[in-house]
Amino acid sequence: MIVRRFALLAFAAALTGCAATGPKFAQQEASTPKLSADKGRVYFYRADSFVGGGLRPQVTLDGATVGKSTPGGYFYVDTGAGSHEAVTSTEVSNKLSFVLDKGETKYVRTKVSMGVLVGHVVPELVSADEAQKELATLSYTGGAQ
Amino acid sequence: MKTSVKHLAIACLLCLSACAEVQYISAPLAPVAAGSQAAERILAQQAVFRLDTGYERTLRAGSAWRQAGTIAQGEVYRPVGAVFTLEGANIHEAWLVIRGDALAGFYLPAERAFSPLKSPVPLYFNH
Repeated sequence: MIVRRFALLAFAAALTGCAATGPKFAQQEASTPKLSADKGRVYFYRADSFVGGGLRPQVTLDGATVGKSTPGGYFYVDTGAGSHEAVTSTEVSNKLSFVLDKGETKYVRTKVSMGVLVGHVVPELVSADEAQKELATLSYTGGAQ
Repeated sequence: MKTSVKHLAIACLLCLSACAEVQYISAPLAPVAAGSQAAERILAQQAVFRLDTGYERTLRAGSAWRQAGTIAQGEVYRPVGAVFTLEGANIHEAWLVIRGDALAGFYLPAERAFSPLKSPVPLYFNH
């Protein structure tokens, strides 16, 4: 009985994981370098949620790892203008294609959705208004990990 | 038990049906000439439609769209202060392609391609 309870607790802990730690958005933004005129910026973030907390896939942008999808965390990447593809992979790869102009900032939210064996982490484009409301409570995790 | 199996089968079918790829064909964009005023249109009525991938999309009344250019299939409008995407197995940023007074499909700027709707959707703009 005790073993069973321990196993259940361990399973629950694996599912939830821990939220990201680090400076909050407002604090971090004060020291975030300004975007250079010839580049665009992409913020990647994930709301802090109980569901799928143990899933923390790497995020790639145009094939290069730029960070990790962590509950309650965010990071950003400065990159060239043009077409881009962001990918998160669990049991399948989920892709988001978008364009970025010079001086433009875009926001990509990674969100847990139902999968067949394990949950999927899906990158989706969100508006600046929506993203900035959600980013306010999140912690900076830094880029490629 | 039989009911559980049935529910699982239905869930699997729903998962599979939602995994269809967004279909598109190459479509070079002729952008609005630099220095000229890009037309901006405000949607007067909400439009709701279903994509071939099974996902539903809503264009809000009051949403603003600025002309980005033209492709062979119609005039291309991008959202102002918002984002719009098509969803299938993957997600694509998408702009509207309008022919006459109807939504003919979508321009996928990252793919430089046109994704048609099966049937055009009438759109009503403020004038």
